[in-house]
Amino acid sequence: MSDARIDGYARALFEIARAEGTIDEVEDELFRFARSYESSDALRNALTDEMIPAGKRQAIVEDLLGGKATATTTQLVSMVVGSGRGRDLPAIIDKLVERASSSKNLEVAEVRSAVALTDDQQDRLKAALANATGKAVNLKVIVDPSILGGIVATVGDSVIDGSVRTRVDQLKSRL
Amino acid sequence: MNIFASILLASEEHDPAHSVHWLWPEKAELIYGTISSLLIFGLLWKFAGPAIVNAMAARTERIQGELDASAAAKTSAESEAAGIRQAAGDIDSERQRLFAEADAQAEALLVDGRARLEQEVAELNARAEADIASAGGRVNDELRAEISRLSNVATERVLAGGLIDAATQQDLIEAFISKVGAS
Repeated sequence: MSDARIDGYARALFEIARAEGTIDEVEDELFRFARSYESSDALRNALTDEMIPAGKRQAIVEDLLGGKATATTTQLVSMVVGSGRGRDLPAIIDKLVERASSSKNLEVAEVRSAVALTDDQQDRLKAALANATGKAVNLKVIVDPSILGGIVATVGDSVIDGSVRTRVDQLKSRL
Repeated sequence: MNIFASILLASEEHDPAHSVHWLWPEKAELIYGTISSLLIFGLLWKFAGPAIVNAMAARTERIQGELDASAAAKTSAESEAAGIRQAAGDIDSERQRLFAEADAQAEALLVDGRARLEQEVAELNARAEADIASAGGRVNDELRAEISRLSNVATERVLAGGLIDAATQQDLIEAFISKVGAS
């Protein structure tokens, strides 16, 4: 899909969520769903398989998110998948998150951690990243056991890597 | 005895018609004989003399020619001998020159061969040293690769075994926050 179309979908989702007054929640839920979508081959295959009817794919989305996310989030994801744009869902959602953050003068900070962060840790990390980058950040935490330990933070084009996986890789490389 | 007696008897019986001496012919015969002889000698001198003189001159000339030819042949032979001696000398000097040239070539070949051998030996040594170094490097590389592989396996096994416990995870997170905040 072209960038213009992705941007168009993101803008539409953003406007719907903002109109519903749930932009913060929807943005967060969509971000988490996008990361789950990226990490799960089965989910990605199910939502992008053209042989599966659109109604069936939408039903899968509603089964997954029903009761766990807001209705707006569920309906927005269902709409994108139903329109056959499931393959571009992560890009659309990332654009939406970026747009939502920009509307609040925030920079998206994607943080990957091997274990979940407490609220206190998230607040301190947000402050630390804001201090390091000079920008207020919209923290998006992803639990990613593959990094083994530590944290990887991506703010715009900057990557601050404190993961055990990277250290292990460096050690392997040196060896 | 009878013969001697007859001779003595004849000598004692002197006859004027006969020769004055038993050893000489009769007078007339002597005169006629002498004249005839002179005539014959004269005729011979007249008619056969020039032919004899010519024959003698021709013989002399022929002998002189033969002598001259012999002298020329001798001269030629001496010249040829000198030529042969010179040729022999030339051959000897040529042989000496060829020997000297062969010796020089052999020496040059020896020097060249020795130099080539030394170069080949040096190259072989260098190649052998390079091979040894390469083999050593290869062994080191293989050893390093094996150590790396084993280290990777060990690391993965340790990590898979849950080496990083919850407390360590929290320490890592706190360390990261502190580090980012301090930067």
